[in-house]
Amino acid sequence: MPLDTSTTYPLTKLRLDGRRWNELRLLQAQISTNPASSGSSYLSMGNTAIMCSVHGPAEGRRGDASGAGGSAGAIVDVEVNVAGFAGVDRKRRAGGSDKQSSRIATTLRSAFQSHLHTYLYPHSTISIHVSVLSADGSLLAAAINACTLALVDAGIPMPGLLCGCTAGMSGSASTPRDPRHDELDPLLDLSLPEEQELPVLTVGTTTSVPVGENNMDDEEGDMKVAVLTMDSKLHYTYIETMLAVGMDGCNQIRELLEGVIKGSSRA
Amino acid sequence: MSNQRQASSASQVPHLSPAELSYLYTSLSLPKSSIRPDGRSPTQFRPLTAETNILPGTNGSARVGFADGTQAIVGVKAEVEKTVLSNETVDARSEFGISEDRGEQEGSAAVGGHGSWVQMSIEIPGFRDDDALPVFLSEMMRESLVGAVGSAEASDMTGGLKGRLVINKRWHWRLYIDVLLLSQPLSYPLPLLSLTTHLALLSTKLPKLKSQGEEDPFFDDDWAVAEYLYPRVSLSSAKHSARSPFVRPPVTLLVISVGENIIFDPNREEIAVADAVLAISITRDSEAGNLKLLSIRTVDPPSRLTQPGIPNSENVNMLGAVASTEDVAVLNPATGEEEVPGVWRPRRGGVKRSVIAEMVKTVLKKGGVGEEVLEGLEGVEVS
Repeated sequence: MPLDTSTTYPLTKLRLDGRRWNELRLLQAQISTNPASSGSSYLSMGNTAIMCSVHGPAEGRRGDASGAGGSAGAIVDVEVNVAGFAGVDRKRRAGGSDKQSSRIATTLRSAFQSHLHTYLYPHSTISIHVSVLSADGSLLAAAINACTLALVDAGIPMPGLLCGCTAGMSGSASTPRDPRHDELDPLLDLSLPEEQELPVLTVGTTTSVPVGENNMDDEEGDMKVAVLTMDSKLHYTYIETMLAVGMDGCNQIRELLEGVIKGSSRA
Repeated sequence: MSNQRQASSASQVPHLSPAELSYLYTSLSLPKSSIRPDGRSPTQFRPLTAETNILPGTNGSARVGFADGTQAIVGVKAEVEKTVLSNETVDARSEFGISEDRGEQEGSAAVGGHGSWVQMSIEIPGFRDDDALPVFLSEMMRESLVGAVGSAEASDMTGGLKGRLVINKRWHWRLYIDVLLLSQPLSYPLPLLSLTTHLALLSTKLPKLKSQGEEDPFFDDDWAVAEYLYPRVSLSSAKHSARSPFVRPPVTLLVISVGENIIFDPNREEIAVADAVLAISITRDSEAGNLKLLSIRTVDPPSRLTQPGIPNSENVNMLGAVASTEDVAVLNPATGEEEVPGVWRPRRGGVKRSVIAEMVKTVLKKGGVGEEVLEGLEGVEVS
């Protein structure tokens, strides 16, 4: 019997690693792991492990400062490095970086460039270095969370924690959804085997900037989607479900990350 | 451009004035008792934290962090590969008598192992992986790894690491060693990377072989019975002998000479005034537990690129204001150059044979630096 989600999930309602549809993997995180950088973090979601370090805000290199963006606010510079030993098989990369890591870097750069209060640091550069130590799905989401923690550790102001999570469907979902008898379940926080087999979407949310006096009694707090990427094909009727599940996952992750940040200040 | 040149040299030269460099040089080269800026003794290493087996997805891994915040992670992965005996080498041997040696080596690869079975890559932030520094460093560490040939009678480690990788005549292990430096290289990263690689290799395990002889390899899928790449001491035998009599992966130590003095594990400022920078690789490869020297490599000393100081006698502003007797050039006994005391001159490299001999002696002697380092690394618990 082939072990994949689309055949076993409808029978058992359990995923390959034994989780239910709405369960996150074990998330462990630590901040201030590297004293040589302004801010650093280690984050693992299941078997995905990421280390992130932030340098700056510091004066940019001379070449970069001539850019028009530099005068208005800080430039966010992201470098992503997937270690050769991260996957199951050792992967040899030709030249400097591969397609996957440069895509993650671009997404992170645009996400944090608009998320951080960069206008406070004109003529400077915030450089983020992400090393993927072990890759088991949801790389982008884990990288977003690790970067957020490292940026918090570096003390760079931001309106709220930017948290990422993945969501998928438990089948190929290529035909329109039938609301009367739903046979596909949305899945939260996909691992690598699931990610390769099923449609998957990465969502990153942040809480809105607290403005005005009546913001306090708004107990739930507005969530804003800051990052949304999807590579796979899927019928559009499923998007809403997946997005809702993904945003709920982001909420859970935000609570966990807040716990990490508050816990580390006590020590 | 100048930035590039500095980066390819031993380390980025710190911004020190000629007067500071001269002060540092003088205090480090004090006869018999050098004074180091951080108060260490000449053979003392910087404190570090280390842990092994941190990545479950690798055959072996280690993390080492120095107190100044530089950190490195090494992951070792092993793959089974078919041994290819190239026909070319056989042809070459018959056609040209000169290449006989090489042909012999290739032909015996199935028995003795081959150096190309170990691959090493180093990732340093801010450098491309084909830049001079990572390539130079990885080759320097790889050559001592594959160069170590065990003279031990122990069946497993004959032929050193290369021999250990042989499964049978047709199959062998290929070892990928990936080194990640997690922070900017504050000082020359060689000692850090070498120590981390050593620890990672110590913790590396290969699955237990179930097939025998020339069969296609077939492994036990129970990770708990996997065997260490470098056999470890069993607890009972460890009690008998204080130090382990087994083959160990090599360690590369960075040593500098300043004047007549020899200084281990130099920091960035100390390297900036060094007369010579040497990388010495050692290993323990026999039952007797003796250390063996594998290689000595000179590293381009960055003191070559520093700004010289100007003695008062040549300074136009000081003309007439100073008595001519005040600075008289004296002969530096270590370098054989005429120097004015207290005035910095860029070092031109070069080191006396007696100094190198002294370095090697300090590393290899019983209870010397080499033994101390290997014992310290052994003490890191491999779980």
